[in-house]
Amino acid sequence: MTQFVDSLTNAQGTYVSVFLAVMRYAAPLLAVILLWRCCKPLLTFQREPEIWAWLCLSNGKKLPITHWENVIGRHKRCDIVIDFPTVSRNHGVLTRYDDGSWTITDTDSKDGIQVNGQRVQICALHPGDIISVGGVEMSLEPISKQQEKRLNQLRTKGSSGMESITNLLILSIFQALSCMGFLMGGNGKHVMSILAGYGGIMVAQWALLIFYLFLRRPAFEVETVAFFLCTMGMAAICTVKPGESVKQLAAMVLGIAVFLTVAWSMRDLERAKKMRYVAAVAGVGLLVITLLFGREYYGAKNWLVIGSLSIQPSELAKVCFVYMGASAMDRLMNKHNLIFFIAYTLIICGCLALMNDFGTALIFFCAFLMIAYLRSGSVGTIALAVTALGFAGVIALKLAPHALRRFSSWRHIWENPLTTGYQQTRALMCIASGGLFGLGIGQGWMKNVFAADSDVVFATLAEEWGLLMPILLVLAIVALALFAVRCAAISRSSFYTIGACTAGAILIVQTIFNVLGTLDVLPLTGVTFPFVSNGGSSMICAWGLLAFIKAADTRKSASFAVRAGKAGRDEIE
Amino acid sequence: MRLNRIASRSIAILLLVIILLGGMGFFLIEYFLNAGDWVMHEGSPHVYSGPNIGTGIVTDRDGILLLDMNGNRTYAVTQALRESTLHWLGDRYGYISAPALPSYAKEMAGYHSLTGLYSYSGAGQATLTLSARLQMVALEALGDYKGTVAVYNYKTGEILCAVSTPTYDPDNVPDIEGDTSGIYEGVYMNRFIQSVYIPGSIFKIVTTAAALEEIPDIQEQTFTCTGTYSYGTDAVTCERSHGTLDFKSAMAQSCNCAYAQIVDQLGAETLRQYVERYQVTQALSFDGITTAAGNFDVNDAAAVQVAWSGIGQHKDQINPCRFMTFMGTIANGGVGVEPYLVSKITCDGSVTYSAQAVRTEQIMPESVAQELQAMMRNNVLEKYGEENFPGLTVCAKSGTGQVGGDQKSNAMFAGFVDDEAYPLAFIVAVEDAGYGRHVCVPILSKVLAECKVLFDAA
Repeated sequence: MTQFVDSLTNAQGTYVSVFLAVMRYAAPLLAVILLWRCCKPLLTFQREPEIWAWLCLSNGKKLPITHWENVIGRHKRCDIVIDFPTVSRNHGVLTRYDDGSWTITDTDSKDGIQVNGQRVQICALHPGDIISVGGVEMSLEPISKQQEKRLNQLRTKGSSGMESITNLLILSIFQALSCMGFLMGGNGKHVMSILAGYGGIMVAQWALLIFYLFLRRPAFEVETVAFFLCTMGMAAICTVKPGESVKQLAAMVLGIAVFLTVAWSMRDLERAKKMRYVAAVAGVGLLVITLLFGREYYGAKNWLVIGSLSIQPSELAKVCFVYMGASAMDRLMNKHNLIFFIAYTLIICGCLALMNDFGTALIFFCAFLMIAYLRSGSVGTIALAVTALGFAGVIALKLAPHALRRFSSWRHIWENPLTTGYQQTRALMCIASGGLFGLGIGQGWMKNVFAADSDVVFATLAEEWGLLMPILLVLAIVALALFAVRCAAISRSSFYTIGACTAGAILIVQTIFNVLGTLDVLPLTGVTFPFVSNGGSSMICAWGLLAFIKAADTRKSASFAVRAGKAGRDEIE
Repeated sequence: MRLNRIASRSIAILLLVIILLGGMGFFLIEYFLNAGDWVMHEGSPHVYSGPNIGTGIVTDRDGILLLDMNGNRTYAVTQALRESTLHWLGDRYGYISAPALPSYAKEMAGYHSLTGLYSYSGAGQATLTLSARLQMVALEALGDYKGTVAVYNYKTGEILCAVSTPTYDPDNVPDIEGDTSGIYEGVYMNRFIQSVYIPGSIFKIVTTAAALEEIPDIQEQTFTCTGTYSYGTDAVTCERSHGTLDFKSAMAQSCNCAYAQIVDQLGAETLRQYVERYQVTQALSFDGITTAAGNFDVNDAAAVQVAWSGIGQHKDQINPCRFMTFMGTIANGGVGVEPYLVSKITCDGSVTYSAQAVRTEQIMPESVAQELQAMMRNNVLEKYGEENFPGLTVCAKSGTGQVGGDQKSNAMFAGFVDDEAYPLAFIVAVEDAGYGRHVCVPILSKVLAECKVLFDAA
């Protein structure tokens, strides 16, 4: 009998080794299948321009109007080009509203706009109104309800409910196997934490999908990618600090709530317009509160401690900043808005300088550059560039005392492997030890290194799961950003384009600094890997940014952030 | 100016994507070029534990387990074996660094750029050239003395036995820091490779070889010893008068006065050149080990000091491992075979390293080597007692290195077995012991007898 028990116990050891050995190849394979299925529709969906109205010229020509905001002018990059000497380069803007109504606005043109013979600054348009742009007469002919319905039918669909369910099933299998791997190969002390962490993600992802199906918006690719990233973040936590799995799970749930709220607020442009003031105040408010009551860790005063809860408000401020940046110049290229945004940026920049938060300042700087680049027109370019310069100058000043040491060891980590180069030399050693397929779940050593679950999480995952896995995570982030770029081309409003592109840019920039910092391609800056790094504020921020990308998704039945129009758009046929 | 342009400007993200993917690509190139170095870098957590290698198992030449390096390092089962091999294997805490095994970390760990260090069947196995039995016999023979005994196969280069004392049991570490008796002095040092000794009369082998090459009629010369050979106010002395000696007897009797006369004939510069050519004081490198370098310095030396240098005193210092190799060179007819410790490494069922004998050039004419062999054989027959080495044609020279102070002399004994069946070269160095012959011969007698058993069994 004891022999039998012994043989079972011995066999268990064999099962564990066999399971872990098989998982080395099964995990990246499942991840590749999952990401392929999720990212392919995001990167290859057909982008047909939507036609919302026709502009009928007096010579009988009909110009299609393909956006909700259309700049009319002589310049060849205008949405509606009217090459006539009396038409200004940027003459006016034709704007569609959620209810299907249209307005025309004069953007300080030389010869002005007249509607039915009246010179107007801004004017609501009705069918049959004669519009004169610099003397060129035309009329607007919105598409009929019937046409709108037809248009809707032609739009490329997002993933169907079945596809989303299949993808999530693959992810769930991946999660279940990972969880088993940890229970078998990892330490037995943290069974509850591991189960709670993985189980929690599973419950959250299915709950969200069911909610989407209920809303009849079954496309779930972007969310599935995010949940996959979160799952690998959980893998790092389970090996480094299993006790924090529930905390991180809570942050993820909170992040999803922020995601839903932000995306919902963007569903209606008028609502978003009002929300932007809330975002602006919240962004600065968060930083000011941190400055007043914050606590300093590792040289940067960017932590707010409330009881046992410590948060990094600057992470949340990023979401507000993107919201501000995208909406501040919404609708009109207006000098007043531009000055407001620059002033806002300067305030944020000042707060970060006082906080000595180098990593976050860098991210804000990149976000600012991105927005500035997307927005910079004839008036703003110089002003924006000057602000950028000021921003860079402040960073440079702050960088000198605080981060100089990191720069000194950059590309020289092997010269001081036990001091300034410690984290990265261990990271490279462990990555090399893991090879492409890893040493097996729970078999890593990186957990002994500071910030193994955040700053150098790439190495922690590479060691146990193989180099392929974190590379897939990087590619997943890249896919999200590329999706934002693809959506930009057919976006209805610049608000969505700027929001999605800036959010995508922030995700990429954070990944650049985190991953390439770990690998000593760039200096180590302590920036987090979106969705993956352990840290509640960073997790919430990542989900918040994802909302901007989700809102730019105009595929049929894809995004709850896109309103099902009164004209019966998005009806389920 | 807005949407169209904004849409086209969104391409800016592609620049960031290119930076990210470019950086990753750059890293991947670095990875495939350098990951092998990263993983073997000092401190690599899956390969080393402290300064010593932390993966794989080590056995003696017959497969007897000496060390399992996984986890907290499991040493041999027998205490004497643990003690006698400690200096080659290293301790748990990094006090003793054993560079031979870490230098094969890559072969031991079985690193591959695709699979990393992963191995389903566990890490590698290193087979050393040492014999566990010989190590234990040598340790016992050395007793409480500090010093080293080593034997190697001068045909293949395998180090069969090399023990350094004092040593201790790594499974039962004594209070070394708190010890005041001095019994653990230099305990962390592998005396065979890391120390240098004043050679005393074993250095006369070098002088003899030089004389055989340089002085055509040396075998016909005779030397008179009155117990003192004067250089003005200074003198080279013997413990007693040896009378008139031929060259062969001068070596057998180890007559200092006769050797002073030989050194006079050679001259300082000639002698220095031979020391250099025979590489007696050079450091020796094998298996990631570099031995301590010896010393022979006759710069600005008075005639009497040059004479003492030719007798193995003055500033002379030799490393035991290097001198043993020199013995092998003589036994081999003037061509050296360098010693080595690691004979084979296997990992995951395949051989990742297999040692090859490294032969030197002819550094001594074969005729000279043969004459030396005969003279050293004569030493054993006349002085050391053939009965101490039954069945073995031992050729040797003893030495007594005078260290000065209250310490007794270092006893030295070096030589080889002139027999194709037992190609053994050896050195014995015992500190604070007295006369070389009296102390070393009994020790060597036991070790060589065990070596013979080893060869007879094979």
